[in-house]
Amino acid sequence: MEEKEKKKHRAKHSGPKAEKKRKRYLNDLGIGEEENARKRNPKAFTVQSAVRMARTFHRTQDLKTKKHHIPVVDRTPLEPPPVVVVVVGPPKVGKSTVIKCLIKNFTRQKLVEIRGPVTIVSGKKRRLTIIECGCDINTMIDLAKVADLVLMLIDASFGFEMETFEFLNICQVHGFPKIMGVLTHLDTFKNNKQLKKTKKKLKHRFWTEVYPGAKLFYLSGMVHGEYQKQEIHNLGRFISVMKFRPLTWQTSHPYILADRMEELTNPEEVRINPKCDRKISLYGYLRGAHLKNKSQIHMPGVGDFTVSDVSFLPDPCALPEQQKKRSLNEKEKLVYAPLSGVGGIVYDKDAVYIDLGGSHAHEKEEEEVRPNHELVQSLISTHSAIDVKMASSKVSLFMDSAPLGSEDVGQEFVMPKEERQVDLKTGRVRRKAVFEDDEKENDDVASDEEDDQEEGDEEEGDEEAASEDGGDGDDENDAEEESERVLLREGIAVRRAKRLKTEMAQEEAVNELPAFADSDDDLEMSSEEEETAPEDSEMEEEEEGDIQRTCEDESSGSESEAANKTADSKQYDMDSEHIETNPQISEQSPKRKAVLTTDSGNCTAEEASESEDENSSLEEGDDEGGSHEELEAEESNRNGFQHSQAKKADSVRQTKVKTVDTEDDDVENLLREEEEYEEKIDLSADTTGALKWKEDLTQKAAEAFLRQQRSTPNLRKLVYGTAVEDEDQESEDADDELGGLFRVSRPDKASKQKANALDCSKFLVEKLQDWDLEEVMSSIRDCFVTGKWEDDKDAAKLLEEDEELYGDFEDLETGVVHKGKAAAGGEQSGSEEEEDKDENMSKQEPEEEEKKKERMDKKRKLKEMFDAEYDEGDATYFDDLKEEMHKQAQLNRAEFEDQDDETRVQYEGFRPGMYVRIEIENVPCEFVLNFDPHYPIILGGLANSEGNVGYVQLRLKKHRWYKKILKTRDPLILSLGWRRFQTIPMFYMEDHNGRHRLLKYTPQHMHCGAAFWGPITPQGTGFLAVQSVSGTTPDFRIAATGVVLDLDKSITIVKKLKLTGFPFKIFKNTCFIKGMFNSQLEVAKFEGAAIRSVSGIRGQIKKALRAPVGAFRATFEDKLLMSDIVFVRTWYPVSIPMFYNPVTSLLKPAGEKDSWSGMKTTGQLRYERGIKLKQNKDSLYKPIVREKRHFNKLHIPKALQKALPFKNKPKNLEKKGKTPKDQWRPAVIREPHEKKISALLSALSTVNNYKIKKAKAKHREQLKEHLKVKQKEDEQKFKRQKEAKKKVYRILGQREKKRQKSSLKGSSKREKST
Amino acid sequence: MFPGTDSFRCGGSILVRARRSAPDRPYPKGSPHPAEEQRAGLRSDTSPDTSTLLRFQLKTCRLGEQRKRQSLPPVPRQTQPGPPGHGGGATPGAPARPLPFAPPLSRRFLFQPRGPGMAGEAQCLSYTGCNFLRQRLVLATLSGRPLKIRKIRAKEEDPGLRDFEASFIRLIDKVTNGSRIEINQTGTTLYYQPGLLYGGSLEHDCSPSRGIGYYLESLLCLAPFMKHPLKIVLRGVTNDQVDPSVDVLKATALPLLKKFGIDGESLEIKINRRGMPPKGGGEILFTCPVRKVLQPVQFTDPGKIKRIRGTAYSVRVSPQMANRMVESARGILNKFLPDIYIYTDHMKGVSSGKSPGFGMCLTAETINGTILSAELASNPQGQGAAVLPEELGQNCAKLLLEEVYRGGCVDSTNQSLALLLMTLGQQDVSKVLLGPLSPYTIEFLRHLRSFFQIMFKIETKTAEEEHTGGEKVLMTCVGIGFCNLSKTIR
Repeated sequence: MEEKEKKKHRAKHSGPKAEKKRKRYLNDLGIGEEENARKRNPKAFTVQSAVRMARTFHRTQDLKTKKHHIPVVDRTPLEPPPVVVVVVGPPKVGKSTVIKCLIKNFTRQKLVEIRGPVTIVSGKKRRLTIIECGCDINTMIDLAKVADLVLMLIDASFGFEMETFEFLNICQVHGFPKIMGVLTHLDTFKNNKQLKKTKKKLKHRFWTEVYPGAKLFYLSGMVHGEYQKQEIHNLGRFISVMKFRPLTWQTSHPYILADRMEELTNPEEVRINPKCDRKISLYGYLRGAHLKNKSQIHMPGVGDFTVSDVSFLPDPCALPEQQKKRSLNEKEKLVYAPLSGVGGIVYDKDAVYIDLGGSHAHEKEEEEVRPNHELVQSLISTHSAIDVKMASSKVSLFMDSAPLGSEDVGQEFVMPKEERQVDLKTGRVRRKAVFEDDEKENDDVASDEEDDQEEGDEEEGDEEAASEDGGDGDDENDAEEESERVLLREGIAVRRAKRLKTEMAQEEAVNELPAFADSDDDLEMSSEEEETAPEDSEMEEEEEGDIQRTCEDESSGSESEAANKTADSKQYDMDSEHIETNPQISEQSPKRKAVLTTDSGNCTAEEASESEDENSSLEEGDDEGGSHEELEAEESNRNGFQHSQAKKADSVRQTKVKTVDTEDDDVENLLREEEEYEEKIDLSADTTGALKWKEDLTQKAAEAFLRQQRSTPNLRKLVYGTAVEDEDQESEDADDELGGLFRVSRPDKASKQKANALDCSKFLVEKLQDWDLEEVMSSIRDCFVTGKWEDDKDAAKLLEEDEELYGDFEDLETGVVHKGKAAAGGEQSGSEEEEDKDENMSKQEPEEEEKKKERMDKKRKLKEMFDAEYDEGDATYFDDLKEEMHKQAQLNRAEFEDQDDETRVQYEGFRPGMYVRIEIENVPCEFVLNFDPHYPIILGGLANSEGNVGYVQLRLKKHRWYKKILKTRDPLILSLGWRRFQTIPMFYMEDHNGRHRLLKYTPQHMHCGAAFWGPITPQGTGFLAVQSVSGTTPDFRIAATGVVLDLDKSITIVKKLKLTGFPFKIFKNTCFIKGMFNSQLEVAKFEGAAIRSVSGIRGQIKKALRAPVGAFRATFEDKLLMSDIVFVRTWYPVSIPMFYNPVTSLLKPAGEKDSWSGMKTTGQLRYERGIKLKQNKDSLYKPIVREKRHFNKLHIPKALQKALPFKNKPKNLEKKGKTPKDQWRPAVIREPHEKKISALLSALSTVNNYKIKKAKAKHREQLKEHLKVKQKEDEQKFKRQKEAKKKVYRILGQREKKRQKSSLKGSSKREKST
Repeated sequence: MFPGTDSFRCGGSILVRARRSAPDRPYPKGSPHPAEEQRAGLRSDTSPDTSTLLRFQLKTCRLGEQRKRQSLPPVPRQTQPGPPGHGGGATPGAPARPLPFAPPLSRRFLFQPRGPGMAGEAQCLSYTGCNFLRQRLVLATLSGRPLKIRKIRAKEEDPGLRDFEASFIRLIDKVTNGSRIEINQTGTTLYYQPGLLYGGSLEHDCSPSRGIGYYLESLLCLAPFMKHPLKIVLRGVTNDQVDPSVDVLKATALPLLKKFGIDGESLEIKINRRGMPPKGGGEILFTCPVRKVLQPVQFTDPGKIKRIRGTAYSVRVSPQMANRMVESARGILNKFLPDIYIYTDHMKGVSSGKSPGFGMCLTAETINGTILSAELASNPQGQGAAVLPEELGQNCAKLLLEEVYRGGCVDSTNQSLALLLMTLGQQDVSKVLLGPLSPYTIEFLRHLRSFFQIMFKIETKTAEEEHTGGEKVLMTCVGIGFCNLSKTIR
């Protein structure tokens, strides 16, 4: 049975397989029917046309080179900033859910609410900053500019929405970041086929928008309100391995996506004027390019500012240290989102809220320590609000006086504190105003309930009374806590109760050493080092705004944490911090002293010079008084101190005196001379004659100058002053206005150089060395090619080396081995030596190494040579360029690598990847008051002169999806560079002769030029325009896109202006024309200009007439009519309105941020107010009534007629003259009889004619009949014949058959017979 | 043509600049400099200029009449023809028609909201004294930051700007578009708000009290960043004792520019006529192409000197002078190098300027293309003692040796130019090895920091070998990523 089931193999007989087999078989036999076509028919494959070949070659080359990107220097820092992932999509598409899922995926942490950017560590080498982008067009524009990756969420059940396309278009304009589509709401499809179809449709549409093959993710269904884990995991993996191409704008400008904002304004100022400009600090990762201190930045939605201070902070969300393992451990999965309240800490504009995990929180903490916990703790511990510090700070005006606290100065008013409570039942957050008095009770109750460790609160009162500087950790702690205003409350059922507190001015107990308690170590480290410990605290006071101590304390915090975890977390942290800080402080003072001393050692010169400066300033003061002295000095100068060179007269005097006094090397003296070196130069030019006795003076000066340059640390100081001069000066400035009472007068820096000296770039030689001396000459002997060369470049050496390298080679043909002599010998000896060395290894190890190194060098060199020969032989231009860029990138990385960050930022600026804190002053108060973390805050750095304004010329095209056309002089909101602003563009076309002609409207499907007055932005920057940023419209909002072409301070756009005039006197071809101009001068300007009549007669303006003002003489190519109108075409320059209005959307109150509206168009206004436009009657259309025009007959001059060919000559037949009487013919008059005859004849002939006609018709009829009959007969005949034929053939056929039959029979018979 | 054009005086004048009908501008917002009573007085007088051409408004100078100082030479006649519409009637549709058809005021949007965050309020830098005027103006122009200089020779008997400074300001005004320059009545305060660099074909009469080098040095800094390639004719003193002469700049600065990617046929300095102080009469032509970005340089190995070249010039003196100088110079230099060639350049007739004089400049070129230079010129006619050509030649050769002793990859006059071009490079590391920094360079570095927030890493290098001159300084910086904002793209 089984055997039966098996099928037999059946070889294929047809189909490709069989064909192939047959072919192979034939080939094997050697009778393959055809060879390769190329072999068989070589002619068909030769070059047919060289031209075409060249073309194809070109084409392939073109295609190849098209694929290249211009190589750019890779400026990405070693530790790049987190990648900005923008999640964008229409409302209700699931943006927040995706973000939450992603965060959960990477960090195993659940964020309740996403506010502002969230930074997470996604891998060993990558961090992500995820931010949600709403549908407000302002937000979309801002975020598109900073995005590295866009997650574009699309509701599959609905399809694409306008927001998606708008965002895509914004991205295209501002540099295209990577875009990944994510389809959500896929579970709404019940029908699988429908789902598939939709997916495909959406995918292809997406591809046309982004690029074919762009990644589109599908998030199929939700599980418990979250997307499926695996899908999110895949999405996360894709994000964390994605590569990015640098975008031009982003790499050339520094920018920060701020993730934290604090207000630093003096509360007193705010109290006095609640609308005063604020000082704020913003935190975030620096991206893009290097940021310089004091540079200009733009905050989209707010405006331009100058950075008042930048400082870098330790990374709050650092990448893990390099370890050799594949994945992150739990501790390294950090998340940092200060605005969202990660780990229970929320930053608001002026307060910090701490979320404590309920009454049993600490127990939990024991078990699982969140990695970010330390961070949070450190943040808690370090961030004592500014105001509190203000309050606690003391100033003592005089040595022994009691220090003044804020209570001495300030007014006593009690502000309500704000406290947020979570209603247990509803979960609603309520804001409760809590006043000081109840607060304490509240506190106590809370603490009692919560923990016994909150004893501090109970002791508060005593401590406040008796707190001495930093004695007891707990004391401090409490004070601190108090200052932080964190109320601890218990939520019984709620696991996480939010304890939120606002600030308030508070009186603290009197401290002996003011503000010592919360002095902060890293602040001091970064700040000036020349100050002593007490001064330090003063510094603190000055820079209270400074809150850069987020994470330096992290380590300390963690240590302490480890020690005592049982304690209440917050309280604890305070404790530990103080324990830590105190010794640090004590440690620091000696260090500082040491620094001070060294510093002074280093900068003696500087100090000296400064003192000198003072001197000189004094001298200047003198100068004012006694100009006669100056005169005197000058005189003396002229008299003969010619060699003593250029000093300002007074200083000359001074130095002179001093040098005379102290001949020996008085340092100060010398330095003064150095400072005045410049001036010396000046006069020396015109004083070449030398006076011997002054000679040593100049020599000394020159020597001193050179010496100053020679000593390494001094050179930098000489140029830039002390290392951290900027900070210095600022603190000094602050010092200067101490209490507003005293002012430290210091000489300003400018006085170092003589301000009014001669401006000359030559570096004159003060004292020529004696070049006749041998030793002097030998000092530069090697600067010439004739001198000695360095070892690696010396010709002889090089030759020798070559020998060594290439001396030995093997002739491959003959097999003879040639050996370089020297090398061989050397090697031999080397080997011998090696043997020797073996004996006494320990001794000659270094030598051994040297040898090894040498060998390696040799090998490397050989390899290089080999590479040069074989690899770089076909290096294209592109490769070279790439190589060059690569080299530069390496140099960039290597140059400052070994320096510490403090000095490095001075040279480079703050490099991207750093977490920086930026202070900005004069920010409008609305920004702070209406702060909403849901809207991104971006700080975009501006390059030089990008902060200026001028005229900008653009190439613009109206977006094809935008419904309306744009009108010149209608305000338009542009997004250009970092900015969004409203301006009034003018559209123009460039004529073939380069004239810019004004357009009233944008052309429909063409580019046109546009010019506006606004911020100067580099050429080549893309922009987009919208008409309004407020509200939503169902239509596409982006009105136009384009690129910047040109920047200028003036502009030439002209519009056509036709001036009309009327002839008032007409000669032959000359006319007098009036009404075109108003004066003779105007006519004079247009002499020679071309004019034309409406009928098309061309002419020229000749000269002004005297009689009617503005009339002129003109000549035409033909005679004009009085009814003609004459016009001249002129071009009138148009001025561009200077209107530049930044879109300040972030200043709007919360909830109205998308409702910014600037200047309205006249059309809008008219529409809103219902004003009807009064139309000019003349511009209305009306039926055209045209008179019938009567033309005179054409008259051709005789001469012309004569010249014409006969054909064209007018054929005026001459009228016949009257025939003369003699030629008249006589008339024939018939007789009556004759008349009768003729009448009869005609009658007869008529009858005859009729008869004939009749007969003809009849005949025709008959013929027809006849033909018909005949046809019938024929048919019958044919029929008969056919039948007859049939018969005949039948018979014939039968006969044939018979015959055949008989023949067959016969044959068979025959067969049979045979 | 325009009243007041000829009688421009620096002492108490306001310069207002607008090319191509720059419309009225309200005074720059945030009034960058504190209200000063002088300025307040001026402001009311300053009517914004809307004419199609450059026009200087004149304020008669109070002090100028009292003090008998050399007044400024008249402003050169405008070489450009009048307004394009004027007289150009042959071209149909002549533009710029000054008809009284100004658009009604209601249609001009002069409204300009001013908030704290407005653009165009780059901080104004303030300085005192006239020293380093050139570098301040140049850097202000390049960085786009307004500038104020106070107390210009305030306490001298002869206060205010000198004629050569006024001439320089006028030159800056010529090469830029939309600059705003205000000088108070005594000429002791200068406010400068830079416009955009414009370039084009220009002519300028330099004041003979300084050499053309004084002007040319600054032009070399600005020329690569113009809108249109600069082609300028400068007239004045080509060689003097104070400023680097045109010959030296031609020999040293141009190769330096080439290192930064500014090259091409049109980069050229041509000496048409030689003019010696005190009267001048020289003429040069300077042309420079335009670049959008500069290349970073690594210029740390000067190499060894392979040849010495030079020019010995003489005008309105015996041609023998040049030969005598050459002889003596060769005598000294031949001890070091055989490859020496010094051209003698004797100019005659029109091209010899107005004053007699002679001098020489020497350049030493290394195998790596570094060029070091030295120069000397005779005393101007009627000033100082007569100088022997032999002595001058010897001294010049010694100066060259001194320059070689200082060494570096850039000679001492061009240090600041090299540093500027490094600063204006891409955001890459540039390095250059210099000799000891000249005081001018040191101040330039300070200015670079205040204008561009850039600091150089300064390292002192001592040569490993003995006989290669003095100590060198290695300057390193990261460019600011400057790009030419004036250049038009198509």
